[in-house]
Amino acid sequence: MANISLAPSAEEVPMASMLAEMLRANLEGKPEKAKVFEKLKAKVYLFAQDAETGMTMEFDRGKLTVHGGQEGKPDISISTDSATLLELANIKIKMGMPWYFDQTGREVIRKLIKGELKIKGMFTHLGALTKVTKVMSVN
Amino acid sequence: MALEYGSDEWIQAYNDLVKERSAGGPPYIMGTPEWVAQYEKMIQEDAEYKEAAKTWEGSVVIHILPKPEIGLDKDIYMYMDLWHGDCNYVRIVPPEVGEAGDYVITGEYERWKAVMAKELDTVKGMMQGKLKLKGDLPSIVRSVKAAARLVDLSASTNPIFPDDLSPDKIEELRKFLHEASEKFGI
Repeated sequence: MANISLAPSAEEVPMASMLAEMLRANLEGKPEKAKVFEKLKAKVYLFAQDAETGMTMEFDRGKLTVHGGQEGKPDISISTDSATLLELANIKIKMGMPWYFDQTGREVIRKLIKGELKIKGMFTHLGALTKVTKVMSVN
Repeated sequence: MALEYGSDEWIQAYNDLVKERSAGGPPYIMGTPEWVAQYEKMIQEDAEYKEAAKTWEGSVVIHILPKPEIGLDKDIYMYMDLWHGDCNYVRIVPPEVGEAGDYVITGEYERWKAVMAKELDTVKGMMQGKLKLKGDLPSIVRSVKAAARLVDLSASTNPIFPDDLSPDKIEELRKFLHEASEKFGI
């Protein structure tokens, strides 16, 4: 079972427990994702602008702690509306990499260009972002 | 004593009730069997939903929590039997049947009203804890377009909201739901 825990600050942030459960379900029974999870070390902040709620995922090589709100200084910050956050989890993985050439991928790129999706740390932590996308993808 | 849910007798009596109460035509009151039947027809006839839900498997239940001051004395479970783009049926069902659905989304009446008035996005509502999902979230995410279409269609039914009813009509609704509860176990 994936080592995912909720920090006390996450208890009052429904988004945090919801996405933690999604990650748990994603990792269970999927060795390829678990392998990526084992290597991932990064602090990722997700902010749902429309819901005015955020969470921090602290990945530490096989362990994930989920915090409510922003915790410390994240390596990657992703800010967009709730529906797009879930769309990010819908990105397909092909040949071990996120696939941006189908409808979902193109929509994500379009939102990124239009500023509807903001990702800080995208270029400085590209490897970590790719790993996070793989772990979070429900596909 | 309530009829046994799912028996031929239950289905026949439920369908008769829907037919009788649909006679006047829409708009119907949100949460009533005739409103649910209108919604069912819209899903069944919607090409966009059919396409988006091609891989969808499993029942979705909308669970509306009670609000006695507007006539909703008990929980309402609206059960959608969905499979690969087809909608077999949408019905109000007994609580034990609703709770056993594959995906149960629970919320207070005001939240569902806001969803159906397109004032609250379902995903946003879940992120804020206004709506709670029981079921496998990754499956919902994979079919997020189908889920969004279901919500859009519910908004298209343009229901009469119980809290907009006069006090007399609220009592009428309460009496009807009470009778339906006794007869159908819903």
